[in-house]
Amino acid sequence: MNSAENFLQNKQLGKQASSEPAQPGPIQSQPLQQLLTRPDIWQLASGQRRPRTGVSTGYRGLDALLTSHGWPRAATTELLIDKAGIGEMSLIIPTLAELTRQGRMVILVNPPHIPYAPALAQAGVQLEKLLILHPRGQRDQLWAAEQSLQSGACGALIQWQGKETPADKELRRLQLAARDGDCLHFHFRPGSCAQAPSPAALRLQLQSDGEQLALHLLKQLSGKSGQRLHLARNPNLVRRDQPLH
Amino acid sequence: MLWLCIQLPKLPLEALTRAHRAGDQAALAVVQSSLVIEANRTANTHNVEPGLSIATACAYCTELQLLERDPEREEQLLQQLAQWAYSFTPVVSPRSAESAQNQADSNCACLYLEISGSLKAHHGLGPLLQQLGKELHKMRISHSIGLGHSPSAAHLLSQLPEHRQWLAETKTAPTPQQWRQWISFAPSKLMDCSHNAITKLYACGIKRVSQLLAIPLSEVGARFGRSFIDYLARLNGTRPDPVPSYEPPAEFHCELFFPSPLDNSEQLLFPAGRLVRELCRQLQRRQLYSQRLCWVLDYGSRGNREVNVDISRPLLDPQRLIALTKLQFERVELKEPVQALTLKCQQLQPIESHNLREDFFDEGNKQHESYQLIDKLKARLGHQALSGVTLTESYLPEQAWQNADSLTLQSKARKHQLTPVNATRPNWLLPRPTPLQQRDHKLFYDGELQLLQGPERIDGYWWQHHRHARDYYIARGGQGSLYWVYQDLTSETWFLHGVYS
Repeated sequence: MNSAENFLQNKQLGKQASSEPAQPGPIQSQPLQQLLTRPDIWQLASGQRRPRTGVSTGYRGLDALLTSHGWPRAATTELLIDKAGIGEMSLIIPTLAELTRQGRMVILVNPPHIPYAPALAQAGVQLEKLLILHPRGQRDQLWAAEQSLQSGACGALIQWQGKETPADKELRRLQLAARDGDCLHFHFRPGSCAQAPSPAALRLQLQSDGEQLALHLLKQLSGKSGQRLHLARNPNLVRRDQPLH
Repeated sequence: MLWLCIQLPKLPLEALTRAHRAGDQAALAVVQSSLVIEANRTANTHNVEPGLSIATACAYCTELQLLERDPEREEQLLQQLAQWAYSFTPVVSPRSAESAQNQADSNCACLYLEISGSLKAHHGLGPLLQQLGKELHKMRISHSIGLGHSPSAAHLLSQLPEHRQWLAETKTAPTPQQWRQWISFAPSKLMDCSHNAITKLYACGIKRVSQLLAIPLSEVGARFGRSFIDYLARLNGTRPDPVPSYEPPAEFHCELFFPSPLDNSEQLLFPAGRLVRELCRQLQRRQLYSQRLCWVLDYGSRGNREVNVDISRPLLDPQRLIALTKLQFERVELKEPVQALTLKCQQLQPIESHNLREDFFDEGNKQHESYQLIDKLKARLGHQALSGVTLTESYLPEQAWQNADSLTLQSKARKHQLTPVNATRPNWLLPRPTPLQQRDHKLFYDGELQLLQGPERIDGYWWQHHRHARDYYIARGGQGSLYWVYQDLTSETWFLHGVYS
């Protein structure tokens, strides 16, 4: 469909160019500008030109890597992870804390364990803005996620993929719902999904290299991908003192 | 005083068939002790009239469905109508039907309304009567209306066709003289007295009330007794005419009965919509709201099933309530055909103005959206699927947090702020500590665990049933994951309690 639209727009461009050959500058470049502002057209040298900014991740290194200088707004971000406990939540908690401070609701769908209130409060998350959902079954889970994303009431939705892999159509629906509701959508999925295509705006593979959290940028809409980044864990956690045992 | 009498002649039929769709064309008749009491229009076209015996009626119309008369349901419907009428005037009195034996056209149920105080609010008599008629029509209740200066007079005049016709055209309330004219004009068979008395009147040749009033009262008393004189005085307005006053109950309770049971939850939506609309209308008039709609699906003799719809904030929009109800009904599997649907709202609370005021501002709007979302999620996923978390004051890690009701999520005012412990705590807590494998003084949980920090000793609650003495450590697993592990000091075994994700 996109290619059809592109074709039509190109045709219009061509028509205008042929009918008004004498007109210089602005009128001709207007459709081109329109074309260039489309988010699905990738431009190499678009770094400074585009003013669209994302929501800051709270990690400067990661912000610099992302085209929107933060998590893409109103879109799905996929985080592919196999092993819990390598710092995947601390990657997004600064953003969640900021959102709850602004009074937006944050929804967790099917978290693998209990979100521990003292740790979240320490990180600055306003607990009364946090809603945890445990829908039964895949259908209810997707329904709840889509409704919450669409509603416009929630600032971020974090979802953990259950046993079944959602179909491509369903992932696309979630992405559209996030766009309609202007909501950050984080989707934690197992690393085996890396090969399957996904409509997400950003895909990050998270692994641990022993000490640090290793990020591998798999896909980024209108931006480069393939970069790797290592983020250190909180020094308070990995500080080594001599335990008695 | 201006009394309105609304006669409900078809109440026995309507109490049983109100749940039907408007287009239903089956011939129906309500029977009691082998006589037809009431018949619907389709049956009427087959000449089935009240007063026929069942055998005759079935001979006239072969596909006639017979329904047994149900006085209890009639009474319920009358109470509902009284509640409806209460929104027009505070003085309402329902009067249930008196069924005389072996007599089809006994006194039917009626409602008395004192409307002199509500004329101004409804811009006069004409618009008020129109409004009443319109709403009764919408509820599909057939009625006839009479106006009088006392309840007895209104009752008498409501049976008089000429009076009803005049009422449809009038704009202002009539003068006392006009009342007297109407009453004297009425035929005496319409009087609300015993059957014997009326036969006696006709035997005397008294066919109109005017004739009766011309006779001196003492003579009438000698013939018809004291109570008849009383009745005449009340009719004339020379004596006060008390009727029992109606008090609306503190809850909403409304039932629809299906003569042919429904076996599909989708079919329930139509009657449910009607009930919700009735509820909203009443709540709006009384400025109340309900936090819970309680639906009861009645399987007849095989028990019933309750379905609750929770609403987090005052909501009087029937469309939204129906949408929430629909979400709930979609989850319900009907084990048996449903014979009756009941809507109950037990705790009605007054709407406070500050609840509504914040809607005008943007922040209130956002709040509103999140309430709607929570209601929707609750309706489909069930109450237990939603939760929040809060802090509690405790040294024990598993007691330092608590499930919070998601309804309190959005409340701004907190009583006092708890501060979390100032120590590194994991983001994930395991619901139950997992025992760790232990070999040669080494711990294993997907690879060997390496202790990084510790111990942090938490020891206490020895005064309660079980002592908790633990040494907590931060450990790194084989694949770089950080865990929160502890050693139970009493049993010396190791457990995994949290994950630093």
